Amino acid sequence: MSSPVQNYHGWTRARVATAFFVLTAAIACGLSIYSSASSLTGLSRAGFSVLFLPLLLSLVLAFLLDPVVTHIEKIFTRTSSIFIVYVLTMGLAFLSILWITPHWHEFWSNMGTDFPRYISQLTESVQNVISTLHSRFPVIENYNLPTKIRGWAEQLMATTLAQTPQSALKIGGLMVIVPLFTFFFLRDGRKILRGCVALAPNRHFEMIRDLSYLISRQLAHFVRGRVLEALIVGMVITAGLSLTDIRYAPMLGIFAGVTNLIPYIGPIIGMVPGILIAFVDLGVGGQFWWIVILYILIAQVLIDNFILIPVLISRVSNLHPLLVFFAIIVGGKLYGVIGMIIGVPIVSVIKITMLAVRTYRHNFRLPDSTLEGDRPH
Amino acid sequence: MDPLWNNIFRKKLDEDSLAYFLKHLPVFLELSPRALSILEAAVHVRNYKANETVFEEGDPGSGMYMIRSGTVKIYAKDQHGSEKELASLNPGDFFGETTLTAPAPRSASAQTTETTELIGLFRADLLELAERHPAVSSSILLGLTKVVSERLQACSLEIRRLQNQSGEHISPENVEI
Repeated sequence: MSSPVQNYHGWTRARVATAFFVLTAAIACGLSIYSSASSLTGLSRAGFSVLFLPLLLSLVLAFLLDPVVTHIEKIFTRTSSIFIVYVLTMGLAFLSILWITPHWHEFWSNMGTDFPRYISQLTESVQNVISTLHSRFPVIENYNLPTKIRGWAEQLMATTLAQTPQSALKIGGLMVIVPLFTFFFLRDGRKILRGCVALAPNRHFEMIRDLSYLISRQLAHFVRGRVLEALIVGMVITAGLSLTDIRYAPMLGIFAGVTNLIPYIGPIIGMVPGILIAFVDLGVGGQFWWIVILYILIAQVLIDNFILIPVLISRVSNLHPLLVFFAIIVGGKLYGVIGMIIGVPIVSVIKITMLAVRTYRHNFRLPDSTLEGDRPH
Repeated sequence: MDPLWNNIFRKKLDEDSLAYFLKHLPVFLELSPRALSILEAAVHVRNYKANETVFEEGDPGSGMYMIRSGTVKIYAKDQHGSEKELASLNPGDFFGETTLTAPAPRSASAQTTETTELIGLFRADLLELAERHPAVSSSILLGLTKVVSERLQACSLEIRRLQNQSGEHISPENVEI
């Protein structure tokens, strides 16, 4: 005998009501997710673009500071070692700011008057070259290169000046966010990595744990090597330029160091302002040639290619020049000048990861022949 | 006492803790309490269902597993492809310890036979420990060396016994350890 509340297929009213609510809720959720899907991707893209640079800088800093923290950790706890390293780093940063501030002031106050002078000198020498060319190839007569160069240069100057307050604000924000992120990466980096690795399924867990260790070690090695290389090249150029009468030696050294992070193209971009200023201010003479030799032979060939790259950076992370150009172009398109600097390291990181996976798989492949052949039959 | 409060304030039994389990394994017998707590943070707790493969013959081997609960069977495939069970391991047993320091492909397969909790310790963990806590990692390695050496000695005694038994027919080179 069935009870009066029971329905046709043995469903009670309560069950029908529950099913109704569940279905309604499911449909409502589905609709809302569907309608907000486009705004969700937009939101995540906006969030990612805001976080991208601080996260990257913090990761690089964490990679740089980690060996120091690990060393101090043998005496103190991890958190206090991080604080000690922070105090030391801030002291160093303070000292370098003290050193750079007068040069920076000089640089900015003189730039307004010097920049047009350099440009006019440049256009003048271009004019000379053009006039000799004109006499030989009359075809290119109506191509007015000097005016074009002047236009580009003025545009560049205007953009730089206009964007300086904006980037100053950005840098101010970074100076708060980056140390904070770096602190947590330094303290909990291993835990975060462990947490990610723990998500792997049982069957692949062992391999993923091993690979994560290999890759993070190689990445740390690569990042430390690159930054140290840029630092040493920058210092060598600053020291070399200080021997001459050239102005802005520290600025040019820093510029050369930063651009040295980009392989192949970076060093060339880095030496352009130095050689230009030397050419305009000092004229073609002993000091000019010394500066050219310093940039090309001493900093690039001797220090970088013969000493730093073999010692600091493994050949593994060397990229094909074509790949470097792709990385720089795409990086520049996506994130501007910073994208150009970080594009190549990011491609290197991808390459290191792929190589680590391949080597790992290769090392552990059991050749079938040895399995069978070694056994005495 | 109210069972709810009892549940909240119940002291974690020492015997339930991971450190207690690790301390009673022959590999970690000599570890100090501090070393045990560091080791506890370095190992990985993995839960397996029944009949789940832990690893297969030929997989890249990079560490050892300790059985906290459940059972694991170790088997190898012979030339005809049929499985031959080599051992059945119970809680407190461990396997795969030879690949912890010397990376090599697994020489046999391991599969759980019931719901099993395994504790994994891998070469990457050991290398990280060696960097951050050299003293702890050296005492872990000492314990490991002790266990592996004991097994090696037992193996050589077994080889000698077999040699004597079969009248020098088996030379040590032909025996796979």
